[in-house]
Amino acid sequence: MSLANSALRRSEAKWGFLYAAPAMAFIIAFVGYPLGSLVYHSFTKWDGLSEPKWIGLHNFGTLLSDPVFRNALINNCLFALTVPLQVTVPLALAYLIHRQLPGWRWFRTMFFLPAILSTVVVGLIASLVLQLKGPLNEVLSAVGLQSLTHDWLASSKTSIPMIILVVFWANFGYNVLIYLGGMSVIDPSMREAALIDGARNWTILTRIYAPNLRRVMELVLVTSTVTAFAYMFTYVYTITNGGPGYSTYTTEFYAYSQAFASQNLGYASAVGLALMLLLSAIGFIQIRLLTRDER
Amino acid sequence: MNVKAMSAVIKRSTKRRRPPILDGIAVLGLSLLAASAVFPVLFMAFNAFRTQADWDASKLGFPTTLSPVAFERAWTGANIPTYFWNSVTVVSGTVVLSLFLAAPASYAFAKIQWPGRSVAYLFTLSWMAIPSLLLIVPIYIEMVQLHLIDNKLSVILVYSALNLSFNVYLLTTFFRSLPNEVLESARIDRASVHRILWSIVLPMSRSAIATLVVFNALWAWNEFVFALILLQSDGSLTLTVGVLQLQGRFGTDYPALMAGLLITAVPMIGVYIFFQRYIVQAITAGAVK
Repeated sequence: MSLANSALRRSEAKWGFLYAAPAMAFIIAFVGYPLGSLVYHSFTKWDGLSEPKWIGLHNFGTLLSDPVFRNALINNCLFALTVPLQVTVPLALAYLIHRQLPGWRWFRTMFFLPAILSTVVVGLIASLVLQLKGPLNEVLSAVGLQSLTHDWLASSKTSIPMIILVVFWANFGYNVLIYLGGMSVIDPSMREAALIDGARNWTILTRIYAPNLRRVMELVLVTSTVTAFAYMFTYVYTITNGGPGYSTYTTEFYAYSQAFASQNLGYASAVGLALMLLLSAIGFIQIRLLTRDER
Repeated sequence: MNVKAMSAVIKRSTKRRRPPILDGIAVLGLSLLAASAVFPVLFMAFNAFRTQADWDASKLGFPTTLSPVAFERAWTGANIPTYFWNSVTVVSGTVVLSLFLAAPASYAFAKIQWPGRSVAYLFTLSWMAIPSLLLIVPIYIEMVQLHLIDNKLSVILVYSALNLSFNVYLLTTFFRSLPNEVLESARIDRASVHRILWSIVLPMSRSAIATLVVFNALWAWNEFVFALILLQSDGSLTLTVGVLQLQGRFGTDYPALMAGLLITAVPMIGVYIFFQRYIVQAITAGAVK
């Protein structure tokens, strides 16, 4: 039996590798190879037609003194400034739903609707709402606040806060759901005991729930930060298209426009690689959180 | 505890628990937020049933017509049937390919003993750390090299690859929770590895597979950036990219644009309403362990 069993195990071991191999090969082909290609092309000058020309670190030198890149990176940082709110506000909202306030089922369902819509749909509607003759100004005029009406997208001073608001709005339901998932595995008797001891809900949220949801909060922190640095493209593309001028460019939008509008594929790769290095640290924290049990 | 003391405790706790004014304010706030979350859908739906003249007068208003002319203009004027069909093809291709890649790998990571397993698993997951949008340039280059630009297969390959790490994570976590006894008895009955996977493990994992299918379908339907750079001719565009064609450079037919956006959004709203449970499972996969 044990001999047959070990032969069986050996043949199984072979299949273990053969089963995992296609997925790994696929990831190497369509994520690993592009990553290598990104690194290689970031050291070249290339218009996409002729042969790429190796120019060493030249692209990165250009990057350091490129005002558009600097401005784009500053914009990413501005988007990241609201990350603390993206972590805490959904936590409080999730707690209110978790407490089963009247209508909590409806709130839970409706909060996630913006996250169901494609970012293109969200961005296009936001751009229409924020137009000079758009609904936002219409409402402001209707309630007697004409003085506040504004051409919101005419300057980055107003369009960036508006994009921040849109992104927050588009993602908060997603984060609420993550927190609700985390809250559902917290022993409810802890909350009941605290209530009997006369604790306020605020105290319960900050002293019992938040510490127990530490891992989930870290997860939301990481995803929100990565979003602010690497997933702003569609919002920028649909809401301001980077304008006016370069004022609302973000880094990945800049990489896109360098590659596809200016045919500087080498430089675009350098922009992408620089941002990726910046983000890889954050990304690896994410993996560590997800695979904490593996080690 | 005697009854008197118990009722005193209950009285105290209920008194503490619901300060009605604060709860009222909270419910009001939540309602406003919920209203804002529904606003875009209503905005699209209402304006799709208003005329261009209504739109010019005001962007906010209830429907003024019952006729679906805006949908007809969107449907015929912008090639929406083609985009819709392309989206369906891309989503189906992505879901099938993702499942066929992720299921065997996850089974190998969860239930088969083989040398190098944990290293291979961490290697597979580690690609989650790469923000996919930063790969738009090299993936574009790769698809040029493979002559797949403007071919729907390009986005199917890319979508399947970009979510593969997460899919493997999702399924491996689930497969691990399956009882070993069942698999062990199948082994004793000399069932092959393939049989165990396809006729025992997968049927036992219906909810995890539904989660994977719904999550990937939602993601692929809504994806925009890779579709934008990899698909170029009008006949190959998916809805998210195609619907932008409705936004003319000079003068836009706004009711038709609203109808087009609604056509893009409604299928996934339907999926959400019917399969909410699975979407919640996919999202909370990393939060609940």
